Amino acid sequence: MRRQFVNDPEDVVPEALEGFAAAWPRHVTWNREPSYVLRAEPATDKVAVLSGGGSGHEPLHVGFVGRGMLDAAVPGAVFASPTAMQIRAASLAADTGRGVLHVVKNYTGDVLNFRIAGELLADEGVRSDIVLVDDDLATDTDDPDGPGRRGTAAVVAVEKVCGAAAERGADLPELVKLGRRVVAGSRTLSVALAAGAHPGQSRPSFELPEDRIEFGVGIHGERARERRAFGPRRALVPDMAAPLLRDLDLSRGDRVAVIVNGLGATHDLELYGLFGEVGKLLEEAGISVARSLVGSYVTSLDMAGCSVTLVRADDEFLDLWDAPVSTPALTW
Amino acid sequence: MADQISPAHADLWVRGFAAAITDADDHLTDLDRRSGDGDFGTNMVTGLRRALAALPEDPDSPGAPFQALSDTFLSHSGGTSGPLFGMWFRDFAKAGNGTPALTLAGVAEAAERGWATVTRLGSAKVGDRTMVDAIAPAAESLGRSAAEGRSLEEGLRKAAEAAESGAQGTSELLGRKGRTSYVGDAALGAPDPGAVAIGLFFRAAHASVTQGADGADEANGPG
Repeated sequence: MRRQFVNDPEDVVPEALEGFAAAWPRHVTWNREPSYVLRAEPATDKVAVLSGGGSGHEPLHVGFVGRGMLDAAVPGAVFASPTAMQIRAASLAADTGRGVLHVVKNYTGDVLNFRIAGELLADEGVRSDIVLVDDDLATDTDDPDGPGRRGTAAVVAVEKVCGAAAERGADLPELVKLGRRVVAGSRTLSVALAAGAHPGQSRPSFELPEDRIEFGVGIHGERARERRAFGPRRALVPDMAAPLLRDLDLSRGDRVAVIVNGLGATHDLELYGLFGEVGKLLEEAGISVARSLVGSYVTSLDMAGCSVTLVRADDEFLDLWDAPVSTPALTW
Repeated sequence: MADQISPAHADLWVRGFAAAITDADDHLTDLDRRSGDGDFGTNMVTGLRRALAALPEDPDSPGAPFQALSDTFLSHSGGTSGPLFGMWFRDFAKAGNGTPALTLAGVAEAAERGWATVTRLGSAKVGDRTMVDAIAPAAESLGRSAAEGRSLEEGLRKAAEAAESGAQGTSELLGRKGRTSYVGDAALGAPDPGAVAIGLFFRAAHASVTQGADGADEANGPG
């Protein structure tokens, strides 16, 4: 049995957005209907960078609206895509005349609604293009007709780097190329120790025996394809990180950015411990941890679990990663 | 009998479609339970109720009712079938906007474009057990009827028959797209609810020019 701080579960998302905008008045404004979050001081002459997706992944995406990252974020209902008209309205509000980059996690509903929004924008004479983020190694298959890998925590790196490049004046084709390059060099694996519960529901979406973990979960509270034995993190981390190294074909001397991300109910004490294990493993493999991000950035409601993301890092990536950013959830 | 779709006919068409879907709600929901997650009928009914409230009282073109329908579906539906229907209606809006009436050739062109749009965005082909299995035969039938110079009534009747037959044919198909793809042959024997809805769409088109068409006929032209 779980308890949550909610009024009417139907109102969870708009009430959170109202509070979010009230808490960060110098960073963002919230448009209630259709719902989207914009920078409080919109940029005037740059490609707009916009992302969106279901709610329940906070601080993603609204937490990354601000200077150096997103110009707008479009939140759907919990775990449901925003609508095409929401995306269109947010894009029109954020466009400065130089076009709009849509950073989209690979889920059928998100992809469809962003593609439709792109067609609606074209009818209005507004250029847009999509960078599709599909970093989840657990959903890698050989089926060319399948939905492909899901998009998970690497989306933060894509938003950071593309946001920085847009701030420096990159045009839309350059941003698309950059974003796709970052995606191609990113892989993630996630594990869960316990499922989260939808707002207003007292039961989690699945139960797990104490000696098992879900290996290869996504960010929508669903089960993974595999259950594995639970153990100390020094035993779990190699299972998560080694397949990423293999799939990215990383070798001695390569540099990576590491994102160790909590899925909603995992404490920083655990996450930093996990990051330490990942760092040791990479050091042994001769791979340099060029940058790191540790915390809960892409969550799955209150799921207990974590994801490990590796992103190939070259000089351009590192320069853009280091560029100033000022958003509610990420600032340096 | 009307030889063109006036704004009043388009209004009747959209209202007739909404009424038919509402009547078929339980049936569509039941079909969707066998192939998806059982919310298709309810989502369509909710979308159409919103659309009816947004319909212009005195549409100035045959595109206007479809525009309201499309905008509503694209504003309120974050899933997959709702937005695809929104884009399907949009091609009828585009064909009918800024013109006093739609000919059979105009309807055929809208269906052809809508077919291309849904195929492009949904990546479903004929035989994938989706709405495309009803759209394709209806669009082809409309194109043939227009080329052969058939009447509007006959062209729409044949399109409705083609769409209904295509929808019925999905009973024999295994789903490859959308949620149906996860349930395999559990859905065999029941038609795809999206395809059935397309059948109802063209049946409503035919009814709009036959039933209650006298009033609409007189209004055809001056409005």
